[in-house]
Amino acid sequence: MNNSIIQILLIVLAPVLGGLIYGVERKVKARMQRRIGPPVLQPFYDFLKLMDKRKMMVHSTHAFLGILHFISLWFALAVLIMGGDFILIIFLHLLATALIILAGFSTRSIFSHLGANRSAISILAYEPVLVIIAISAYMLTGSFDVSALYASDVPVLFKMPLAFIALLMILPIKLKKSPFDISEAHQEVVGGVELEYSGIFYEAVYTAKWLDYIFCYLLVFMFAGNNWWLGLLLVALTFIYINALDNSTARVNYKQMLRFSFWVALPMAFLNLLMTMFHLI
Amino acid sequence: MIALIESLFLIPIAVSALLLLLPKTAARFLTILATLVLSAIAIYLFTQATDRPIQFAVSPVVNKIVMIADFSLLLFVIGAGLKQKNILVWVLAILQLLVLGYLTTKMSETQSTQFYVDKLSIFMFILVNVISGVIAVYSLKYIDEEKCSWFRKKYFISMIFWFMAAMNLLAAADNLEYFYLFFELTTLASYLFIRFRKDDESKKNALTALWMNQIGGLAILAAIVYTVLTAQYGNPSFSDLIAKGNSVAIILPFAFLCIAGLVKGAQYPFNKWLIGAMVAPTPVSALLHSSTMVKIAPFIILRISPVIKGTPVATVMIGLTAFVFVAAAIGALAQDTFKKILAHSTIALLALMILMAAVGTPVAVTAALILMLFHGLSKCLLFLNAGVLEHVFHMKQTSDMSKLGEAGPFTALVVAVGFMSLLLPPFGAFVGKWFSIETIGTVASGFKIVAPLVLVCIATGGAVLSLLYFKVLGAMISRTGESDKVKFEHIHPIYESTLIFLLCALLICTLALPWLLPYYFTQVAADTTGLALIPVIQQGTNIYIGSVHLPLIPMLIAFILLPFGIIAGLFVRFKHVDRAKEYMCGEKVEYNFSSFYFSTDKATPYFVAIGILFFVSIVLVAFFM
Repeated sequence: MNNSIIQILLIVLAPVLGGLIYGVERKVKARMQRRIGPPVLQPFYDFLKLMDKRKMMVHSTHAFLGILHFISLWFALAVLIMGGDFILIIFLHLLATALIILAGFSTRSIFSHLGANRSAISILAYEPVLVIIAISAYMLTGSFDVSALYASDVPVLFKMPLAFIALLMILPIKLKKSPFDISEAHQEVVGGVELEYSGIFYEAVYTAKWLDYIFCYLLVFMFAGNNWWLGLLLVALTFIYINALDNSTARVNYKQMLRFSFWVALPMAFLNLLMTMFHLI
Repeated sequence: MIALIESLFLIPIAVSALLLLLPKTAARFLTILATLVLSAIAIYLFTQATDRPIQFAVSPVVNKIVMIADFSLLLFVIGAGLKQKNILVWVLAILQLLVLGYLTTKMSETQSTQFYVDKLSIFMFILVNVISGVIAVYSLKYIDEEKCSWFRKKYFISMIFWFMAAMNLLAAADNLEYFYLFFELTTLASYLFIRFRKDDESKKNALTALWMNQIGGLAILAAIVYTVLTAQYGNPSFSDLIAKGNSVAIILPFAFLCIAGLVKGAQYPFNKWLIGAMVAPTPVSALLHSSTMVKIAPFIILRISPVIKGTPVATVMIGLTAFVFVAAAIGALAQDTFKKILAHSTIALLALMILMAAVGTPVAVTAALILMLFHGLSKCLLFLNAGVLEHVFHMKQTSDMSKLGEAGPFTALVVAVGFMSLLLPPFGAFVGKWFSIETIGTVASGFKIVAPLVLVCIATGGAVLSLLYFKVLGAMISRTGESDKVKFEHIHPIYESTLIFLLCALLICTLALPWLLPYYFTQVAADTTGLALIPVIQQGTNIYIGSVHLPLIPMLIAFILLPFGIIAGLFVRFKHVDRAKEYMCGEKVEYNFSSFYFSTDKATPYFVAIGILFFVSIVLVAFFM
């Protein structure tokens, strides 16, 4: 990941790549349910179709914040790809999430508010775990930069397996997948913060979700060090795991999610921190 | 130089007296003038600061005055305690009186210098004079709208300046006996400020503040007694204590000073006085309890950090503050009153500052200083906004604020930027928090098992605080799409100018951080810790400070995204776009929505109990080592 041409290509193509992942995901999910599923390029067809729709919005600030969310998420992703400071990346991602939460709150829509509230609670569920993982990574590599992880000769996975498990536990929260998809839960809050976006303005929020895929899978990829093949394998396995989980579980409520995160995922990350700190592995 | 520093003490006192005598217009003029002069002096001192601290003595007459002031102050407190039948207040005051009486017989007459102004003191001068000055100007309008007599209005403004004098003196005091007096003066100020409205609740909370802070005073006296009794220490002054602290290796006096700081900083279990203080008029909350007075806590710890660094006392303090950081954040979730939410988050962030001061490495001290400055600016901004919300929009509870986005978009915008500035990149408070996490990571091996626990606390507390800020923000920024025009409301020019000044100061300081960091904060940190200056190396677009680094390009882009993005969000208009009504799932319902309500009251008693345990263990640890 320390090759600058690949880095720049990845940054530029991130939305396209994310869209492809989304396309494959829909296909995989459909196959798991014994459906044929849409074509892999379906997200892009949707994208084109959305551009053609009549332009509608609730008010300009709301629409603008959605676009700002997309830009800031792309930017956070760029810093991650360039191997910046892990803690900074977590908070830049928080910035992007903050903007979409603000957008959700900026309208007088009940579902949008509910979704924004739930997104804020999701932050509480995943952020501490990520920060602890970042500090464990520091203990391991002696640098807070993600580039040190990309460059590591021994895959980080073998040095801090518990951190990887903790990451797998919070990824569904971050990706808004069942059982932790409370923030967008279509049957309950009709998509949450996305609800009030339509047509061309929805495009920004829609593609931002693709960027989130890249963001999350890069976090997984990071655990393979400089071994790309292992990285891709990890990403593929995680991808299947996430989708299988999404297909096979029912949604929990936010309290259960918080409890899970605080009593299972966070202690797991904490144990990992202890292990890396005292060099037990 | 010395004359300038003394003018920082004397001008506020003189202004304070003059304000009581002058007519209204002249008093207004004087307030603004005094604010400008004091800020100018503080900033001039900042530009002139040298590596050598300025030490100076005052004439022996002042010693006598200080002694008399001490006794009369305590007598006043005893009187207040007896009159209002609060046993804790007068018992604690009598205890202090006895100790003080004992001390006067023991103290040698040969006093060294009483004042000691280093870069840390000047940092406090800037914080106190600029921020309190802004608050004084703001109060001119605010207090005009209070329902009280004309004299009490003047008395309020006058008291602000008197408080500023006490704070300036405190920041410069070297002699512990002097320090005790100024500490008690700020306590008295908070007592008088809190009971300003003179209703039952105010009086009750004022007494709570009084007795809790008396414990801080008592702790300082205990430190003095212990210093006097330990022959090796010599004079009870900060400079002597710090110079000899490491060789004498008796850290009990420092433990007592820590306790004084922690009480002033409203750490659990003494959190109640700060929360109770919110009944006072809003400038008071801003002045005493968010921006300046509580900063005494990190200030004391920073002063003594060269000695307590690495001792068990520091370790216990780190544990306590890490716990308070989470506990206060959780406590805040259950609140609905805007000012109480601010108070709780102040306690949480103070805990982080004290924590970093107790860690005491140069980078940690730098982080503490950054947090102090930016927290001061952001919280002052938010508190002054709380006053505007109360007086202009008549909103006190966050659940009432659902119409703010339409009624007062400017206020809503400033509140939004204020909250964001406590949480997100690129703002200074974020940088402080970020450096804190990384610094504790780097020094973790020195603290064994404590460090991972502290890190978990900071990570969790930070996330809880972000949830809190979103909860509050969410309640106030919504508006309908019926008209896209945002028309800024007109509030009184005094309100508007102070808010805009603070907002600009916040943005400018954030932009100036890459320069402030090497040329100011690290130097103050070097001066405070007594260690060599940590080199700040600029490599490409990264600034390296010790083990942490600040990448400039991401910070700059974040700066464009966040403050400007949000401000632009209010002005951007998309033309030729049709309007859609909000989706209501086909139902005709009134818009009636509030944020989640979190009930965390059940946990609070446990927090207090844990806090007491920590406090006891600070003394025990210091005693037995």
